[in-house]
Amino acid sequence: MSEPLPVVLLVDDEKHILSALSRSLRREGYEILTAGSADEALQLLSERQVDLIVSDQKMPGTHGIAFLTEVERGGSRVPRILLTGWPEEIPQPEIARAGITALLPKPWDDAELKSTLRSCLAR
Amino acid sequence: MNAASGVTVHLLIAEPFQEGPAATSTSDALRRLGPAVQLELHHEVRVAAAALRGRHADLAVLDCRLGDDLWSLLQRAGEGATPAIVVGEAGDEAFALRAFRAGAAACVARGPALADELSIAAREQLQWIRRIKASVPPDGSKENVDNVSRYSRHVIENMNSAVLVIDRDAMVSYANPTAERVLGAGPGELTRRDIRDWFPGAAPGDVLPLQTLENGTCFRGVETVLTRADGTLIPTGISCAPLVDAKGIREGAVAIFQDLTEIKQLQRQVLQTEKMASIGQLAAGVAHEINNPMGFIHANLSQLTEYLDDFQKVWAHVEGLRNASGREVLDGQEVREAASALDATIQAVDANFLMRDFGTAIRESLEGSERIRAIVTDLRAFSHQDTAERALCDVNRALDSTAHIVWTMMKHSVVLTKQYAELAPVVCFPMQLKQVFMNLLVNAYQAIEERAALEELRGEIRLRTELQGEEVLITVSDNGAGMPKSTLDRIFDPFFTTKEVGVGTGLGLSTSFNLIRNHGGTLRVESEPGRGTSFEVRLPLGDADELL
Ligand SMILES: Nc1ncnc2c1ncn2[C@@H]1O[C@H](COP(=O)(O)OP(=O)(O)OP(=O)(O)O)[C@@H](O)[C@H]1O
Ligand SMILES: [Mg+2]
Repeated sequence: MSEPLPVVLLVDDEKHILSALSRSLRREGYEILTAGSADEALQLLSERQVDLIVSDQKMPGTHGIAFLTEVERGGSRVPRILLTGWPEEIPQPEIARAGITALLPKPWDDAELKSTLRSCLAR
Repeated sequence: MNAASGVTVHLLIAEPFQEGPAATSTSDALRRLGPAVQLELHHEVRVAAAALRGRHADLAVLDCRLGDDLWSLLQRAGEGATPAIVVGEAGDEAFALRAFRAGAAACVARGPALADELSIAAREQLQWIRRIKASVPPDGSKENVDNVSRYSRHVIENMNSAVLVIDRDAMVSYANPTAERVLGAGPGELTRRDIRDWFPGAAPGDVLPLQTLENGTCFRGVETVLTRADGTLIPTGISCAPLVDAKGIREGAVAIFQDLTEIKQLQRQVLQTEKMASIGQLAAGVAHEINNPMGFIHANLSQLTEYLDDFQKVWAHVEGLRNASGREVLDGQEVREAASALDATIQAVDANFLMRDFGTAIRESLEGSERIRAIVTDLRAFSHQDTAERALCDVNRALDSTAHIVWTMMKHSVVLTKQYAELAPVVCFPMQLKQVFMNLLVNAYQAIEERAALEELRGEIRLRTELQGEEVLITVSDNGAGMPKSTLDRIFDPFFTTKEVGVGTGLGLSTSFNLIRNHGGTLRVESEPGRGTSFEVRLPLGDADELL
């Protein structure tokens, strides 16, 4: 057996975004998990080991920043990416508090998405 | 000032009897004021007090040599609203201070220059008293003169309101400096001017001071527009009261008014700011709703380009197979090889998956573009009749298009129920109406979010319209957090907000209230903490002929 694939967790309330992200990453050699909300994602994280989290910011219920901050509080060292339409509007201290590795704009550029994920996983 | 001359004023002096150099005697100094000033000299404190109680003096001069009696006389003068000048010893600042605190109009130090200083101070007071006296018709009763002179000079001359006194013929007999400034006239220029000059073209019934002259009607803070000589229009808030003599006969009228130009400008600015703020809020909501579908449509398009590359690889092998199988003499080996190459590519690119997913990606993208199209349609409906002009407006349509646009930012947490009645068109400023609806809807949404943070909640906003006689009734209710009485009492105050900085400016409802009032309608509210809130807008249908 070859090495297990890196596991990437995608979180967004918009299922068409999850679908488009998975489509972009299909050839990247990851195992992809998806969650439609922060709660669902936290549930998944309690069951599975993941190597990278990509989360949307604006979701009903818990927002991306709050979700990732909770992950950070749980002591996780998993690299994490925040996907947002308004990256400039997120205050720097909150980014630090949530342990965010990189911000990705929405809509994203396909090549940028792939390279950002690769470099986050290489850490 | 011309009008001020030829009037006698009455001056009361109280000083202890003593013989001394004339220069230090108060009464001697005051004799210089001339024959138009009638002097009344008292050495007896009790008599002086009685005289002050009689209120016939226009000005009192009290000497510090009276000792503590001075303070009781000063108080008496104050009770009778008679201005008083106090003479103190030179250098005794504590005394001067105490005198001012006790209500002295001026304090003069005894010394070699007493005569000059005292006459200057007295002249200053008297000049004003003369002006007031001159403003009352010569046949005015003594009572009236006293009434008017009771106003302190400083109050009237320095007050920020304009004061005009007019006589029976509607001619100005007194104008304070503020009135001169507001009406664009130089000092003294307003006297003997006809009050009607500032109401050109107005029917006599619309000139409020005339109504006061004729019918004795009082007005308080009525908004009216004055026209300056140079044609400038000045919005003012005006109060008028008749000037009546002891027998109840009207002798003139007093008009006090405030220049509202700046306030009006400020109001307009606030309206504009409010409009910008709500549009900003709206734009952010709309941008977010468009951004998500744009995100996946964009990603899907890049992906579909890659899929197309893969299909082209497969297609190249299809061509190869066609060529091999199309030869006149078939080469079995060639055909087999072409077929297996095609097969291998199909496997390599996972063409079966691509086929299926191509369809899915297109379907999802179409859904996204349909969402964007719907938002643009809503925006177009919302901006319909985006006019600053008065127009005939379909209230259902204005409410519905606004609700749709606002709803794009809250559809995740709120259901919208609508109950629209058949309405007659309303004469209104459609954009202002939509601005009001937007404020009410955004507030309802925020109240629902507030309550949803505390408990499980299915947010609901109900919209209802009704025709009641000559009025349209619009109700916007929510099942949000509601308000306690203490909040409810203040929601229409400008800048009152219970929301965090950056969320609310507290202008939404005060602006809405004004906009609806300007439409001749009303805005009312009912609320129950923890249950929800209901806002009710009533609008008169208005007269469509006005639009012609
Ligand atoms: N539907 C509602 N339910 C509960 N409270 C409300 C509702 N509408 C208004 N309020 C209360 O009235 C206050 C004033 O409302 P207003 O719309 O004038 O200002 P705001 O919403 O705070 O700020 P802005 O509208 O300028 O963004 C609010 O802060 C809130 O406390
Ligand atoms: Mg508001």
